This record gives sequence, structure tokens and C-alpha cells, in this order.
Amino acid sequence: MSSTTVTGGRLRTGRTRGRGRKQHALFRLRGEIPLSTRIGLAAFGVVLLLFIWWLAATVLFNEVFLPSPIDTLHGLSTYGSSGNLWGDVQASGLRILKGYTISLAIGIVLGMFIGSFQSVEALWESPIGFLRYVPATALTPLFLFWLGIDEAPKVALVIAGTVFFNIVMMADVARLVPREMIMASYTLGASRTRVMARVVMPHCLPGIIDVARVNLAAAWPMLVVAELLAATDGLGYRLTVLRRGNAWDQFFAVLMVFAIIGIVSDLLLRWLRNRVSPWARP
Amino acid sequence: MNPVAVDDVDELVLDDPSVDPGALPHEHEATRPPKLVVRDLVKEFPTRGRGQGKVLAIDHVNLEVADREFVCLVGSSGCGKSTLLNIVAGLDLPTSGSVEVDEEPVIGPGPDRGMVFQTYSLYPWRTVAENVAFGLECVRMKKAQRKERVDELLGIVGLTKFADHAPDQLSGGMRQRVAIARALAPEPDVLLLDEPFGALDAQTRRAMQDFLLKVWQRTRSTVVFVTHDIPEAIYLGSRVVVLASHPGRVIADIDVPFGPGHGPGITRDPRYLDLRDEIEELLGSV
Repeated sequence: MSSTTVTGGRLRTGRTRGRGRKQHALFRLRGEIPLSTRIGLAAFGVVLLLFIWWLAATVLFNEVFLPSPIDTLHGLSTYGSSGNLWGDVQASGLRILKGYTISLAIGIVLGMFIGSFQSVEALWESPIGFLRYVPATALTPLFLFWLGIDEAPKVALVIAGTVFFNIVMMADVARLVPREMIMASYTLGASRTRVMARVVMPHCLPGIIDVARVNLAAAWPMLVVAELLAATDGLGYRLTVLRRGNAWDQFFAVLMVFAIIGIVSDLLLRWLRNRVSPWARP
Repeated sequence: MNPVAVDDVDELVLDDPSVDPGALPHEHEATRPPKLVVRDLVKEFPTRGRGQGKVLAIDHVNLEVADREFVCLVGSSGCGKSTLLNIVAGLDLPTSGSVEVDEEPVIGPGPDRGMVFQTYSLYPWRTVAENVAFGLECVRMKKAQRKERVDELLGIVGLTKFADHAPDQLSGGMRQRVAIARALAPEPDVLLLDEPFGALDAQTRRAMQDFLLKVWQRTRSTVVFVTHDIPEAIYLGSRVVVLASHPGRVIADIDVPFGPGHGPGITRDPRYLDLRDEIEELLGSV
């Protein structure tokens, strides 16, 4: 080691003696941290959230309009024993399932073609780019006029609110297939259909599941808007009922149910991605 | 040193008694038509952005490759060597001119012209054996027959033990051997390789070069090998075609005076060193 007379570096790095810029173990850009630290920080994050929530409920606001975590837990048990919980989850879940399945089907088919063929891309780019920025929630009254007040407008709103995200992001997934992989497949004698089915699709599968997972988060707000306006069951409808009855602890319990459904579906789709495409595991 | 005329090198070859004349293309040329003919090939690309500009990537290239010949196309970046290979593969269309294999015009990609890329481009969701089988599935070969052929090819490339491995469990050199086996599976008339060893480290690269020569001798295929590495081109090719850049054009067509069975010893041969210097000068002077 050299005890040099060069002071420039030392002057620039400040406090510590030696060459180079010292890096903090927790704050290196894209650096890895030990698993134990990770778990510790994750647990701390949850505790912090609950603490702030509790603080806000007990000290800052009126506890009636912002129930504490414990009140919410009570609300959840009241809501659960009222017999409405399961029916609401089923009603809302089914609407999401119908709408989002259709949205995914359109998104995957159109996205794969847009990402694979420049001609298809050129044809669809402008219409999709235009429609994408029309707020789907603004269409709610129209859907009620056009489709009645039953299931159809709710399913339609879920589709309208997610299908453009799905198309655009699925197309991006298709664009990630390396050109050389496609070219190699052609020189091995594969037809265009075979390249689509046996090369593009398997390559895109993990990406498709990831996009489906990310955009599912956008499907729920659409459903809630539809159910707030016109419904006789479902989690969104329950929110209006509980609001009218001033049952804010149960109101918060419904919000928790949304979060739990979200986390569970997220984990399920992650698991599915790793299961069907172990080669793409990050 | 002056740029060599093709004749000089021919003399060099004929003067040498150790060279096996059967390995040289001239004999075939006299008796049968060439395997691959590139005729008056021109390729222009539109320039990006505004304007009607065009860039001439390939300027009237002519090339004949004899059956079972190993030809290396060498040139710096921008000489259109990859574009030329893509056009031969049928993956790109020429602006004018034509490519013929066995006197039939090339109109698109097909399994008669296998291609190996620098990036391996293996299917990561398929095992090694399934990767090799891809081309055989395309011609709807029966399963039992397919397995037999895959086993044979994995034997040739020395990967029998790795048949059920995933590509990402293999080293770069092994992956490229899978890619070569996969390209050879449909028994192509011509094997096209686009800088296949460019991503490998020096030692692996040398081993892969010897490996490719062995495969070539064993499968008796016609090979067109694109590289920017002059020593690699001389080491591998029975003929080296030198391409100049901007626009891409043939500036020399040199027969290499070493038989196909040569070992790594030729890198110390004065003729090898001379040839290397000559090509370096050719590429440096334009």
C-alpha cells in the first residue's frame, strides 16, 4: 500500500483515508443485501405501516372515520360472520374472472401479432394509441345505457379498463423474442405458423404471465367503480352499503379483503410463471 | 508488401508437395457445377431518418463455392458479410442479383441452408436433445427415427451425456456445439456460420475451430464461414474470400495452402504468417 502524497482523491472522498469512494453496504446502486437483512427490513416495513395507521387513527383523526388496525380486525370478523363476505368475494371475483379473461385473450392475440408483424403494428398502433387515453371509468354511464344494469356493463368496464394495457404490454413481450432465434428457426425449416407456435409463444409465455399479473391490479378499480354505481352484490356494492350504515370498521375490512385478494393472486401468478417456464426464473 | 493477386497464391499452393490436391476446390470445379453461386449481388439499405438516401451495403459480389468446400468470408465491420450470409440463407432479399444452390434459385429460408449465429440462439425451454430435434420435427420425421438421428448428432458434437441438460446449464462452447448439431440435423446442402465463435474466450475458440474442422471432414458438408478474425479465416478455410467495406465487395479470393487434416502447427508455418500479413494489408489498405 502506498502512503502517497496525492491528496486529490482523499480530498474528494472526504472523511475516510484511502483510495476510492467508500460504498455503504445498504445503499449500493443495484447492490445485493444479505437475506436476513432483507427479511428484517420487510418485517420492519409492515410494522411501520401498522404503526402509522394506528397513530393516524388514534391521535390525528377521529377514530370513527379512520378505524385503527384492531377495529378493522373486529370489522373483518363482523363482516365475516354477517354471511356477506363469501358471497361478495364470489360475485366480484366472477366478474373479474370473466372480464379479465376476455381482456387477456384479446391482449395476447393482438399483442403477439402486433409485436411480431410490423404491418399489424402499423394498422393497430394509432387506434390503440388513441383509445388507450380515453378514461375507461368515464364510460361507465354509457355502458349502463348500452348494456343494462346486470353483469354485462361491469364485465365490459373491466375489459375496457385493462385491454389496452394488455395489448401494448403483450406486444412488448413479443418484441423481446431475439430476431436471430426466429431466423435460426426459419433456416431449420420451420413455417411461419410453426415459428409462432413453437418459438414465439414459448418464449413469450413467462412474459405473458407477468403482464397478466401486473395488469390484474388495474382490473379491480374498474370493477369497484361499476359496482359502486349499480350492483346488488359484490365488494364494491358492500362499500356503498357500509358507507350508508356508517360501519367504517367493516368498510376498512372490505379494503383489506381487496388487498389480500391482490397479494394472493400475485403470488399465484408468480408461482405459475416459474412453474411453466423454469428457464426464465429471475 | 504488395496486395497479393490470386495467381501468386495459386503458385504457392501448386509448389507445395505436401498439400493434398483432393482437398482443393479446383478439381471439383472442373468436373461438376458449384454447390453455391452468388451472382452479381447488390444490396442497398434505405438510410434512417428523412430523405431518400440509400446505403450500398454490397456492391456486385460474385462468389462460387464448390461442393464440400470450406470458404471463409473475412472483412472488417461494415463489409456486409453478415448481410451476404443472410441473403444466402434467404432471410434477406437482395436488391439485385441472385443466389443459387445446386442451380436452383434461393427464394427464401429453408433447411437446405443451415445457419449458426454468434448468439447461439438455442431454445432455452428445450433440452439439448430437443433443440437438435427441432429441424427434424419440421420435416415431420417419426419419433424413433428422430431420436436415432439426434443421438448420432450428439455423438458427433460430443454431447451425448448432456442430451437432457438445459442450454443454460452449458458453457458457451458447448452451446455453440448444440447450435451446430441443430443446424446439421436436417442435413443441409450448405452450412452457414456467422461469427459463430465471436463470443467465446480464446482457448475455447481454438478448440471449437479444430472441432468444426473435424465435423466438416466427418459430415462432408459445404461450409461458408463469416468472420472478422483473419487468423481464424486462414486456419479454417480451404479458401478465404476477402471483403472490403463501404461498400462491401470482394477484393481477393485466396486458396489456402493447407490440407483439411492440418493441426494447430500451421500457425507457425511461414506461409500461414505471410498469408495473414497479406490479408491484414489488404484490409488495412482500403
